[in-house]
Amino acid sequence: MIHTIWEDGREITQQFPKYKALIPIREADGVVYVSGHGPEDINTYEPLYRGRVGEDLTLEEGYAAAAECGKTLLRAVQERYGSLDCIRKMVRALVLVNCGRGFQEVGKVADGFSDLCVQVLQDRGPHARTVMGTRNMPNHNIPVEVEMIFLLKEEYRAKGEKDDGRV
Amino acid sequence: MGATEKRMEQLGIRLQQTDWKGKGTAEAVLAGDMLYLSAHYPVNPDGTPAYVGRVGGELTEEQGYQAARLCGLNMLRTIQSYIGSLDRVDYFVKALGLVNSAGDFYNMPPVMNGFSDLMVEIFGQRGRHARAAMGAYVLEGNMPVCVDAIVRIRR
Repeated sequence: MIHTIWEDGREITQQFPKYKALIPIREADGVVYVSGHGPEDINTYEPLYRGRVGEDLTLEEGYAAAAECGKTLLRAVQERYGSLDCIRKMVRALVLVNCGRGFQEVGKVADGFSDLCVQVLQDRGPHARTVMGTRNMPNHNIPVEVEMIFLLKEEYRAKGEKDDGRV
Repeated sequence: MGATEKRMEQLGIRLQQTDWKGKGTAEAVLAGDMLYLSAHYPVNPDGTPAYVGRVGGELTEEQGYQAARLCGLNMLRTIQSYIGSLDRVDYFVKALGLVNSAGDFYNMPPVMNGFSDLMVEIFGQRGRHARAAMGAYVLEGNMPVCVDAIVRIRR
């Protein structure tokens, strides 16, 4: 069994950490890297949307799914730093869109995430963005995944990095 | 709501509300000394695609190379407009190139060289960068290549 650990010829029980990091966040010199995440329930990982945009889902559903990714990521940041006030400005986002055959409007799907950012963060929200259409995605083929980088306000720096990056 | 806003409300003065929809992205964002650039596409000055199609399908590898070079030229225009002069480019740090690839096309790195060769031509050693080149299933507008980058800027 893959999860069995042997030590000195004895099988030992794995000790899982109390909090399993659902959305790992790393901070380096005031730049915060947030792991890629899909439109999923933040606790159960259950996908809120499934399938390929342009095939199983419409463009509007894809847009909504991208916005849901944004909400999930912002929630993770809020849990980690206490408030979204911690964001000095958004820097960059990488958006992956699960595309059905012939679907090309990946930018319009990614706008679901970007529009949310500016609605919530206003002038702190605009970011550099790369959008890519893919064919297969994790967690039962989620339609969108977003990872992001933002700049942290000085007063929030290095807070909680000691907990090994867990949310 | 602040006291000033309350006073304005009493006076019946309403300000227009900003519509943020569709304004979520910037061509570049400066974070400290690092300029993060959005994905740049092989487009003409008026924004229309200069190349359309998949590399290894409708387009040849050489056309892909030229398209990647055009991505680089468009990126330089963005950098120039953000920081004034390209002299302020300290060095290129990282680039991610996505190549819209036909089913059996695997030469993404030679395509991305169109971008990398351009930067080394212009900046010499300062133009070299860490790079990832990856085949994509779909790119915006069915364009063949897009490239984003992180560039270190001199103060």
